[in-house]
Amino acid sequence: MSGDDSSDGASVDGAPVDGAPITGSDAISGDPGSGPETLAVSALNIGTDEWVAQHETRTSTGHGVGARVNALWMSGPAAVRWGLPLLVFVLFPVLVSDGYLLRIGVNLGLFALLALGLNVVIGYAGLLDLGFVAFYGCGAYAYALLSSDKLGVHLPTWLSVPAAVLFTALIGLLVSLPSRRLSGDYLAIVTLFFGQIFTELVLAGDAVSLPGASDPVDITGGANGISGVSGWSVFGFSFNTNRSYYYLVLFFVVVLVLGLGRISRSRMGRAWRAIGEDPLAAASMTIRVNRLKLLAFVVGAGIAGLSGTIFSAVQVGVYASSFDLPMLILLYAAVILGGSGSLPGTLIGAAIMSVLPEVLRQPTYSELLFFVGLVAGVLWILKPKIGALVLAATVAVGFAINIVLLAVGVPYLSAAEWTQGVIGELLGRWLFVPQDRLLWGNVAFVLLIIAVAAFSRMHGRAKMWFLPLLLWLSVFVWMVRLSTEASLTRQLVIGATLVVLMIARPQGIFGKQRVEVL
Amino acid sequence: MEFFGQQLVNGLTLGSVYALIALGYTLIYGVLQLLNFAHGDVYMVGAFIGFFVMIGLGGPAAPMVPVWLMIVAMFLAAMLGSGILGVLIEQFAYRPLRNSPRIAPLISALGVSLFLQNAVLLLFGPRIRDYATTEYIPIGSGFSIGSIRLDPMRILVVVLSVILMFVLVRLVNRTRFGRGMRAVAFDREAAVMMGIDVNRVVVLTFFCASALAGAAGVMVGLVFFNVSNFMGFLAGLKGFTAAVVGGIGSVGGAMVGGLLIGLLEAFATGYLSANRPTRSPSSL
Amino acid sequence: MRRSPLFTGIAAITCLTLSLSGCAGGSTAGSGSSTPTVGSAPDLSSAAGPTSAESTPSDPTSSAGTPSGSNSTSAGDESATSSAPAGSGKACAGSIGFMGPITGSAAAIGGEQLHFAELAVKNFNAQNGSTYDVVQGDTQLDPGQASTVGQQFVSNDAILGVVGPAGSQEVDAIGPVYSQASLSFVSSSATATELTAGKYSSFFRTIPNDSVQGPTDATFIAEKLNAKNVVIVQEKTSYGQGLAASVGDALKAKGVTVNIVQVSKDQPDYSAVVTKVAADTDVVFATFQIAANTQVLATQLKQQGKQAAVFGSDGSFSADFKTPGGYVSSFAPDVKSIPSAAEVVKAYTSAYGDFATTYGPPTYVAAQAILQAAQRACQAGSSDRAAVLAQMKSTSITDSILGGTLTFTASGDVEGAKFYVFKIGTDGVPALVQ
Repeated sequence: MSGDDSSDGASVDGAPVDGAPITGSDAISGDPGSGPETLAVSALNIGTDEWVAQHETRTSTGHGVGARVNALWMSGPAAVRWGLPLLVFVLFPVLVSDGYLLRIGVNLGLFALLALGLNVVIGYAGLLDLGFVAFYGCGAYAYALLSSDKLGVHLPTWLSVPAAVLFTALIGLLVSLPSRRLSGDYLAIVTLFFGQIFTELVLAGDAVSLPGASDPVDITGGANGISGVSGWSVFGFSFNTNRSYYYLVLFFVVVLVLGLGRISRSRMGRAWRAIGEDPLAAASMTIRVNRLKLLAFVVGAGIAGLSGTIFSAVQVGVYASSFDLPMLILLYAAVILGGSGSLPGTLIGAAIMSVLPEVLRQPTYSELLFFVGLVAGVLWILKPKIGALVLAATVAVGFAINIVLLAVGVPYLSAAEWTQGVIGELLGRWLFVPQDRLLWGNVAFVLLIIAVAAFSRMHGRAKMWFLPLLLWLSVFVWMVRLSTEASLTRQLVIGATLVVLMIARPQGIFGKQRVEVL
Repeated sequence: MEFFGQQLVNGLTLGSVYALIALGYTLIYGVLQLLNFAHGDVYMVGAFIGFFVMIGLGGPAAPMVPVWLMIVAMFLAAMLGSGILGVLIEQFAYRPLRNSPRIAPLISALGVSLFLQNAVLLLFGPRIRDYATTEYIPIGSGFSIGSIRLDPMRILVVVLSVILMFVLVRLVNRTRFGRGMRAVAFDREAAVMMGIDVNRVVVLTFFCASALAGAAGVMVGLVFFNVSNFMGFLAGLKGFTAAVVGGIGSVGGAMVGGLLIGLLEAFATGYLSANRPTRSPSSL
Repeated sequence: MRRSPLFTGIAAITCLTLSLSGCAGGSTAGSGSSTPTVGSAPDLSSAAGPTSAESTPSDPTSSAGTPSGSNSTSAGDESATSSAPAGSGKACAGSIGFMGPITGSAAAIGGEQLHFAELAVKNFNAQNGSTYDVVQGDTQLDPGQASTVGQQFVSNDAILGVVGPAGSQEVDAIGPVYSQASLSFVSSSATATELTAGKYSSFFRTIPNDSVQGPTDATFIAEKLNAKNVVIVQEKTSYGQGLAASVGDALKAKGVTVNIVQVSKDQPDYSAVVTKVAADTDVVFATFQIAANTQVLATQLKQQGKQAAVFGSDGSFSADFKTPGGYVSSFAPDVKSIPSAAEVVKAYTSAYGDFATTYGPPTYVAAQAILQAAQRACQAGSSDRAAVLAQMKSTSITDSILGGTLTFTASGDVEGAKFYVFKIGTDGVPALVQ
């Protein structure tokens, strides 16, 4: 699937010539009609190098089951590669009637819409827009005001939604106008301010002194938000179930993916990415940098506004806290995790960042994830034989520690008092669970962090000897302390996952490796 | 005038704290071009270390050692602890990403931030901790200029942050380590070629930056009393803003930016935000 | 991927080996490995012999044992409150959903609420031989997350009732869904007046709403304290907004000059706001959800030499707000001074440490209400949500830890809700003045 953005076959001239580094984004060098531009870019030596970017593909092809499946998948036509997942998503509500799963589906769709919008801003044009969720909020609030009792206005959907989207896009234009000459971190700070101002305005908007009125007017509802927002209703069909919104969101995701896919391959998309790579170089190729930056901003804002209108209808209300920084963090994580600039990557990233937190809500799943991750991780990273030895040693360490702690006389819980589920059954005979879980768990948690730190400083054989102890400690911490605080554990796991995923794949799942040639 | 003066004092106190946080952002950015979004949480951990040192020394009501010694111990422990934490974070979350796209460490920083926030919540519970400064430094023990109150802790915070900034500037400009730091900031590859141990420089930079954040954490506890696991989020954001406003990467800029944001906040509350209009009783 | 050819096979063998030794590795193994596990079980339990032995430790300091021990003593007086005496009837089971800000910026509130709910379930199970459990739903005080968690709870058939959510907007976000599913939900901190105006048929709350607190506090400030100038420090939350409006309106109606100053909820410093408080201000009314913030405000007022008395709303009613001369209102007497709550307070402190917010004990009562309704429904033979909801309406908790008997009005509010006003003495302990 990663072939999406580069599928136009940039590899035509993708080999280094005369040792000169191949430069610029693939889209530019890949366009047969842009010969002179290629020349112009080669003066600038930073960008995605085709040959290096394919390094991973080359080394991994033809090895192992996973790679073979991957190769098979990649060999299929694009229609199949996109069509199969789409089919799954179309059939999902038919197969599932559970309201919660459908709701997760709607959330996933909304998240994907937002991520697609953000991808235009940061993935294509490379603008670090930290006020993106404010546009989401603008759309949501605009729609809510136009279709609730707050102002007593109930516009038909075909009027209110375009109005909300246009309004948001206009706000996007207004924000980007003064900041179009800023770049990088300065743009980030201006947009961050915008995001904060939006929240402040909304929170203070419950008592606005208008010139004509003697009493302050309540517009946004302040911290109470606006409730009782009416749903979408198009061509006589009212959306009022999760299932109907699921299809609505899916429709927009498909439209956007098709549209953005085309745009990304068009002259404009290439220009966007050129700006993202290097605005100066882009400008020197007669790309109108400022205008395109504005356009990226406006398109991103419009998409966010659209998702906002759906969000406020799904939730039957809008509240300022939904458009604050935590949401922004999740969104950025989605886009970057997936591989900034890649459409399938963005979608996968959105799926991970919206489904993973929900999966982790269920303690049984998160426990399963932990143990499977632990065992698989050991077997995967180490050579399998050594990994098995390490796991066996871990078991032994557990029993040894039991004997020591019992000899010391630490009060403990019997297995029946703390075990639950399949894993609990198995662990019940092996793990020592002290009575004071709070104290022991906290001490062990700190020890675990220290142990991991020490482990990372070790080399060679010492590492192997230490690993079983580390594994035992992490199981101990999980069962003794973390499993009693499911919601905290969820946040801890999300945090750790972000770090681990980024380290495992810095360029994102579908991102291309950048190589800077000096 | 007195109103202005008092707000100036308010703003300067807040600004000094922001400046210390901003310095950390700026140092790390300068050397690695990395926005360390976990910095606010390092500051939070510093505040907690200070709190527990205080409890360990007998608590606010009956300290076992002289008050000045207790405060010194709180600062030293928090700076040391935060410094080590910063180095650990660098090693785990940022070093593997040293040569990746600039945006990648941003996400791993957010992951670290989430982890730290909730680890503290797990270890110490959700309760907000109170430094209870007024128990060992009574209210009114400072002095007044007109009706402007100068609380001793506020004076301490401003003076101490000026001292810390001064030490930092000397460190950057006058020492061998500072030279290495500037060299790495200017051009990492060239610095390597000149025989500078980049990793060493980075580790030391993270230590300094995080130690400053730890000091800021204790300061906030001493002046504003409350510490919670979530306090780093907003403070980190303010510090980041200050660093960018002052010109990220510039040590002097961070100080100015921090003070500016603090003063701006105080004066905005003082002058700009009018008292909110209330509805007239008829609306009952 | 490079190691894949060998990987699958060796992983399977490893897991088999591991499950032979009965460890966690079995979780990844195929079903084929289950037989050896059983076979090797005996010598395992002999290896870890004492661990699986059902011996009660002699060490009395262990915390986990203490609450359940003290429960049995409290069972006597509390079992009278539930319609079913301990031991009689069948063992009932089910889940209670908990919604609240367990993590995030309001964790100080939600963490204690969760622990009180868990304690309530534990105590109830110990008394009635039932096996109810708590399902956590972390909302971070965000209505968006609340509505997802709400869907999750509705879809989970085991859940008979929900404790929470914490915020009024969250109630708005999930109210329609819960009402449609006849799922009872009892909030212990959502105070917006209009929530119980018949909007949501399955909504209850264990604390009075803003329309009770606002006028009570305003009357006290205007008539008892004879205040002429009042500054309301409004936290920018749903809680602060509703309360500030309610108190502000009532004060204005009494001819008091009112100024409202808004502060952000995560702000650490209120000194700029304090400087703005004019010297002739008589009372500063603080609408913080967390008492520690009110304490900071009061201390900073003192530091700047302002004479105004601080009046905290019910969010400030905790040991963390201890400035002498301050006032605080509450919907219940101090839980730590109510005899019927002593056991619960003791059990809580030994299991989770001290608590500091106001909203823990009402959560305990909320959980009790649901548990009793579920138990009654179960003993009546039907334990579906509609039956629980029907039983909820006839809730009556005698000697509740909030003092007195708790019953609900038809709209779901607390019957006979009233507010108390306390003055904080020189020792930092509040004493009842009204």
